[in-house]
Amino acid sequence: MNDKVIAMLLAGGQGSRLKSLTYTIAKPALPFGGKYRIIDFPLSNCTNSGIETVGVLTQYQPHVLHQYIGLGTPWDLDRRNGGVTMLPPYAEIDGIKWYAGTASAIYQNISFLKSCDPAYVLILSGDHIYKMDYEALVDYHKEHEADVTISVLEVPWEDASRFGVVNVNDSMDVMEFDEKPEKPKSNLASMGVYVFKWEKLKEYLETDNVNEASSHDFGKDILPAMLEKGEKMVAYPFKGYWKDVGTVESLWEANMDLLDLNSGLNLHDPGWRIFSSNPQLPPQVINETGDVQASMVNEGCVISGKVFKSVIFQNVTIEEEASVSECVVMSGAKIRKGAKLHRAVVPPRLDVPEGFEIPGQQDEVILLTQEQLDEWKERVGK
Amino acid sequence: MNLLAVVDTSVKKEGLQDLTIQRAISSVPFAGRYRLIDFPLSNLVNSGVNTVGVFPSSPFASLLDHIGVGKSWDLDRRKNGLFFLPITQRDGGLSTVGAFAGLEEHMQFFTKSIQPYAIVTNGFVVNQLDFREMLNHHIESGADITEAVSEGVSLKNYILSKDLLVELIQTHRDKNVVSVEDVVNLKKSPYTFNQYEYKGYFAIIDSVQSYFQASMGLLDEENRKQLFLPGRPIYTKVKDEPPTRYVTGSSVKRALIANGSTIMGEVSDSIISRAVNIKKNARLEKCIIMQKCVIEENCDLSYVIADKDVYIGEGVVLHGTAEQPIVLRKGEKVTKEDMR
Repeated sequence: MNDKVIAMLLAGGQGSRLKSLTYTIAKPALPFGGKYRIIDFPLSNCTNSGIETVGVLTQYQPHVLHQYIGLGTPWDLDRRNGGVTMLPPYAEIDGIKWYAGTASAIYQNISFLKSCDPAYVLILSGDHIYKMDYEALVDYHKEHEADVTISVLEVPWEDASRFGVVNVNDSMDVMEFDEKPEKPKSNLASMGVYVFKWEKLKEYLETDNVNEASSHDFGKDILPAMLEKGEKMVAYPFKGYWKDVGTVESLWEANMDLLDLNSGLNLHDPGWRIFSSNPQLPPQVINETGDVQASMVNEGCVISGKVFKSVIFQNVTIEEEASVSECVVMSGAKIRKGAKLHRAVVPPRLDVPEGFEIPGQQDEVILLTQEQLDEWKERVGK
Repeated sequence: MNLLAVVDTSVKKEGLQDLTIQRAISSVPFAGRYRLIDFPLSNLVNSGVNTVGVFPSSPFASLLDHIGVGKSWDLDRRKNGLFFLPITQRDGGLSTVGAFAGLEEHMQFFTKSIQPYAIVTNGFVVNQLDFREMLNHHIESGADITEAVSEGVSLKNYILSKDLLVELIQTHRDKNVVSVEDVVNLKKSPYTFNQYEYKGYFAIIDSVQSYFQASMGLLDEENRKQLFLPGRPIYTKVKDEPPTRYVTGSSVKRALIANGSTIMGEVSDSIISRAVNIKKNARLEKCIIMQKCVIEENCDLSYVIADKDVYIGEGVVLHGTAEQPIVLRKGEKVTKEDMR
């Protein structure tokens, strides 16, 4: 019996609320947690769940992602059979079609899916930070003999209207699916992780494709259409850490969660490793004047200043008398002598000049930019 | 590149026994995240050498596990690449570099390769040798054998023509010589010699003392600048360790720390490898702690070398000296009860 599972990972998102962080990279390529990119999480979940065929759908700024994933070696996806396949939009005899929505992205790769001949298709998003056993999800889907299973998470009621919300009965059958409802009837939010029977998915994608009224989106079109036709849709209750990093603030928060031993996001668990490409850098150095507390620091760093409650990516230099607190300092950034930062996200390779400070007690999270530094330099006459 | 490489990892040094019971010298951990073999292998690939024979003697499981097919050094190639050529004879390996009896077991490596020159290097001298430059020096000198030296000390790296190397391997018994190093040290020699002067960082690791000294030397920024050159990275087998976690209340000064560790205690003048766990109120000074060690609460350690997977129980006090650091062997468990 064919029970092959293949994963389709949607990684074309722009993440416009992340401002300059995603001008040149797609949101799934966003650096996170001192050494990772967000896409490491779903990819590593695939590796750890025994899923060996993964299609990665890219569209917005795909170069960094394509280069980063390469043959998929860090995730053991460099396989003779299956492995990782990068799926950007492509030209056909009728011209190029961009991916208009999540469902159209999958539909346009239907020939790839057909060539894989799966029994189940797992739809994933490259925007989320979480550790999840997809094998358990697929098993649940099989046990419930569902046509589609939606992975759901309990969220605070006040946040529910930001998500696709499902209403379920006692046996977890989905009765209603509301995409971003104004008045949510439930606080079970869809994580954008679905398992479909391939035959059903194919049928609905083909119907949706010719429906001109459709926005070609899973949450808005495909799932409601399936419910309407009475297909068996069940919800899989996921428990654990899950975060959608859509804004600078939520990216910062997710990094801070790593420093909280009770947040549920433990990267130090050898049983569920998050794999990533590993640059070849020497160990980190903490110098005589360095002071690191409640923080995470990656390889290649040289710390001579104060680091408090911060996540420090590879190759960062923090000079003497400089201090960072509650900061996320991305790879290759330099915090020069005496500079002081609080609640700042420092983009890769930014060189924060000597003595730089943001005046006043700033509590909101800021994304530091080169323009801001130039402005400061002009003001203080450096 | 017209140079092929012989990495003689069969060399044995008495003084390093505590760290080499279950492994070759070349797979001794160094500088927190490396094995000694990483340095010659990285130098070779950074110099453009891509035909590399590694000649280990037993026990070599640890070395094989580390280098595998050579992927970390881009030596997993269809053409040329890494050749793992173990010496099968019992007690293979000498205290000198380039043992002919070992090389003789793998004559095919030499006869099949097309490179006219050979570099014979080793796994216990840490340096940043540029073999391309050394080869040019050798060719210009017209000598039979070129030896790399620094400050009057031999780095035990030799370049000679492949033909001469093959001839030496085939006739070493008649000539009564055992290794390339042995040939270079002959009082009366039919060969001409040249020395290539190397400027830069080097450390010869042939005893626990020299290992300790070289390790501590890396806490000196000047040494690190010479060893970790941005254009010539040191490659090693990658592990997917997360960044190291510094917990509130920890204190770390003058330390080299690899990824994956969790530090709650007090660490100074020390080298901490990957995935080490240092618990609350533990105090470490001048220590070298290798992969996956656990140091429990309230320990007080100085001048201690803890090999991989060592467990140091709550409240253990161990003080060695610079001349005689205490070595805890791989997998050893030390508890307060053992101290009495």
